[in-house]
Amino acid sequence: MPDAALSHLNVLDLSHYVAGPHCTKMMAGFGATVVKVERPGTGDRLRSMGPFYKETPDLEGSIPFLWLNTGKKSVTLNLKSEGGKKILQDLARKADVVVESFSPRVMPGLGLSYDVLRKINPGIVMTSISSFGQTGPYRDFRAAEIVEYALSGLAYLTGDPDKAPLGAGPCMAQYTAGLSAYIATLMALFGRGEAGEGQHVDVSVQESNLDNIEVVLTEYMRTGKIPKRTGDEHVLVPWQIYPCQDGYAAIMGGPVRHWLRAVDLFEEPRLKDKPYQRIENRIEHREEVKQMLSPWVARHAKRDIYRAGQARKLAFGYLATLGEVLESPQHVARGYFQEVEHPVTGRQKYCGPPFRPAQTPWCAGRAPLLGEHNEEIYGGWLGLPEAETRRLKDEGVI
Amino acid sequence: MPAIRKLPLSGVRIADLTQNWAGPHATRILADFGAEVIKIEYVRRMDGLRGAGKENQAYDHHPRWLEVNRNKKSITLDLKRPTDVEVLKDLVKISDVVTECSRVGVLDKFGLGYEELKKLRPGLIMLSMPGYGSSGPDAQCAAYGGTLEALSGIHSLTAYQRTSKPMRIKEVDVTSGVAGACAVMTALIYRQRTGKGQWIDLSQLEAATSCLIGEHLLEFVMNGKATLPLGNRDARNAPQGCYPCRGDDKWVAISIRSDEEWLRLCNAMRRPELAEDPRFRTAAGRLAGHDQIDGIIGAWTAQWTHYEAMKALQAAGIAAGAVLNVAEIAEDTHLKYRGFFHEAEDGTGRYPGMPFVLPRALPEVRNRGPRLGEHDEEVRCGLLGRPKEEIEPITVDKIGTAFEIE
Repeated sequence: MPDAALSHLNVLDLSHYVAGPHCTKMMAGFGATVVKVERPGTGDRLRSMGPFYKETPDLEGSIPFLWLNTGKKSVTLNLKSEGGKKILQDLARKADVVVESFSPRVMPGLGLSYDVLRKINPGIVMTSISSFGQTGPYRDFRAAEIVEYALSGLAYLTGDPDKAPLGAGPCMAQYTAGLSAYIATLMALFGRGEAGEGQHVDVSVQESNLDNIEVVLTEYMRTGKIPKRTGDEHVLVPWQIYPCQDGYAAIMGGPVRHWLRAVDLFEEPRLKDKPYQRIENRIEHREEVKQMLSPWVARHAKRDIYRAGQARKLAFGYLATLGEVLESPQHVARGYFQEVEHPVTGRQKYCGPPFRPAQTPWCAGRAPLLGEHNEEIYGGWLGLPEAETRRLKDEGVI
Repeated sequence: MPAIRKLPLSGVRIADLTQNWAGPHATRILADFGAEVIKIEYVRRMDGLRGAGKENQAYDHHPRWLEVNRNKKSITLDLKRPTDVEVLKDLVKISDVVTECSRVGVLDKFGLGYEELKKLRPGLIMLSMPGYGSSGPDAQCAAYGGTLEALSGIHSLTAYQRTSKPMRIKEVDVTSGVAGACAVMTALIYRQRTGKGQWIDLSQLEAATSCLIGEHLLEFVMNGKATLPLGNRDARNAPQGCYPCRGDDKWVAISIRSDEEWLRLCNAMRRPELAEDPRFRTAAGRLAGHDQIDGIIGAWTAQWTHYEAMKALQAAGIAAGAVLNVAEIAEDTHLKYRGFFHEAEDGTGRYPGMPFVLPRALPEVRNRGPRLGEHDEEVRCGLLGRPKEEIEPITVDKIGTAFEIE
C-alpha cells in the first residue's frame, strides 16, 4: 500500500460541528491518525443535528456528521472531570497536533490552554478555530453560519438588490475556515524548525472568509467603491445563468478572445455588430446583449448549450442539480465518488478528495461510532488496562 | 522569544505558471507565509487580472492585481523561444514547487510536463489545477468560477425560495485557490519527511464540490432529496434571517438555535408576552409562524443601526451579526484590534490580511503585485546567472491583453 502524506501525524481532535471537523477530515483523508475526543453519551453536537439517514434521528445517522468525520477514530472523554483532563494531557503527549473549536475562553477555563499543553509537549501545534479569533472585541460573540457570512462581507453581496441580503445555503464560511485551519496547521508543522517548537494557531472564521472578498475589499481601499448585491449579474457580459428549456444554462462569455468567433451559435446576427464586439461594448449594452441571447438559450437544453459553448472554446456550464452532479460523466469517468461502508447506513456513495496527490492517495474511511476506539486508544496510546478503562467508564470519565 | 523568526515557508521557491484568480490565490497564501513565488508571465497575452487596458501601464495598477499577486515576483517568458524554455528549466532546477492551471496537455507539448521536470529537480512538487482535472471527457473544457459553481451543484443550493432563481454565493476561484494551497502544503509535509516530490491533480470542479457541499450530495444519495435551498432560514430551528435596520440597505443577521435563545430574544426586544405565546414555544411552532415572527423582529431591528442591534443582541447571548459592506469591514473595530489589515512595506497602501494567524512569525505584505517583468533581471541574471542580453525589452507593441479579439 502506498504511503499516505500525513501518515506520521497524530492529531487530537477536540473540535465539533463543521469548521474543525472539516480540517481534521482532510488530515485523516491524507493519512493522519485523527482521534476525535467526544463528550460521553452525546458526542459532537452535530451528531444530534439532521438531516439524518432515512430521516430517522440517531447519533450515528447524522448526514453532515457522517460526511465531516470520515477516517477518524472516536473516543469519549469528559473534559470537565479531573480524570478527563489528566487523560487529555496524557493524549497530548502523544500528539503532534491538537485541533479545537470551542469559544476562546473554554480551553483556558478547562486548564488546557496552549501554555499548559506546550509544557507537556513543546512540539505540539495547537490549532484553535473560532468564529472571530482568540482576541478582540468580538471574540466572545455567538455565531451561526449566517452571522459569520454577514460579518465577513459576503451576505451583503449575495442576493437581489431590492431584497434582503441572502445567506449561503451551504455552510460556506465554516467549510472555508476548515480549509484555512488545515493549511495553517501544516505550515506550523512544516516550520517547526530544529528546536521542534510548536505554536498556537489562531483561525478566525471571519478572517479566513475575507479571502473571498479580497478583490473588492482592496478596490474599496483604493477607490472608495462599495459594491452591492446584483442578483446574478457579473461585471463581465454575458457571465451568468439564463433560463433554458430544462433549467438554467451558465452563459460565460469567456475566454473573451474566443467570443466573436463563437457568437454565431446564438443565431442572432446582430451580436456580431460593431456595438457588441468588444467586452467593454457588451458591458455597456448589458440589457440588449441579454435580450439577444435569451431566446436561443430558452429553446435549448442545458447540456446541449454546455456542449455548444465548449465546442467553441467558451466556458459555458449549466446549473446542475445534485442528482445531475451524481450522474456527471466527468465525475464518473474520474471515479470521483467512492463507496464507503458504515454499520448504520451500509454502503453509500461519498464525494472523493479535493485533490489527488499521485503518490500519496486519499484514504477513504467512514465516520466512527461514538466511543468506538476507546479501547484502542486508551489501551494502545496510554497503556491503560481494560479494567481501568472499565472503571473510567463507570465513573463517567470516558 | 526572539522578535524575528523565519516565516514557515521561507526557503521554499515556487515557479508559478498559474493565471487569473484560483491558482494565484493559492500562491498568494504561500507567498504571504514566506515562499518565494516567481510568477511567470507571457507578455503577448497577459494574465486576465491585468485587465484589458494598456494605457499608462494600467495592467500594473489594478487593485485586484496588487492584492492577488502581492509578495510575488514577476518574470516574463515566451515559451515559443527555446532560450526561454531553457530559462524555465533552469528555474525549475532550483525550485521546490511548480504550480500551473494551463489547459490539459499544453505543458507536455512544451516538454514541460511533470515527467520531464522531475528529471531536472528530484523531489519536485507540481500542482496542476485545471477546471475539470487532468482526465475524463471534460478535461479539455474551459471553466471560470461561475461555470464551476453551476456545474458543481453549489449554485443550486442558495435561493430566496425553493422555486425562485438560484443565486451565486461567491467566486469559487477562491475556494479552488485555498484548496490548491492545501495541496501544496500536503505535498511539502510529505517531502519534508521522505524527500519525495510528486504531481498533484487538482480538479477545481472536484475541489469546490468536496470542500463546500459534500454533505448535501451525501444527503441526496442517502435520502433522495435536498433540504436546501431555504432562503435565510434554517431547517431545524427558528427564527433566522436578515432583518432591516436603520439606514440605507443596513441589515442584521440573527439566528435562534434553541427555545432558550428565543426567550432571550423576546426579552431583548422587550416583548415578554411573546415568550409566553404558546404558538412560539417550540422550534416547530416558530418554524410554522416564521413569517409572523419575521415581521415582529423586523419592526424591532428597524429602530436600530445594524451595529447597535448586533451589540444589543450579543449582549443578551444571541447570535447576531451586522451585514457588513466592504467600507464597514475596512473600518471594523474588531478587525483593526486584531491587526488584520496591513500597510504594505513598499508604501502601496492598505491590504486585507492573512486568513489565519501563526504567531511565531507574523507575515507582512512586503510588496504589491509586481509590475510586468519587474524581476526579469533579478531572477534571470541574478538568480539564474543568464546573460543580460537575453532579456527582451518589453515594448508596447508586444504587449497583449487577455481580452483581445482573436
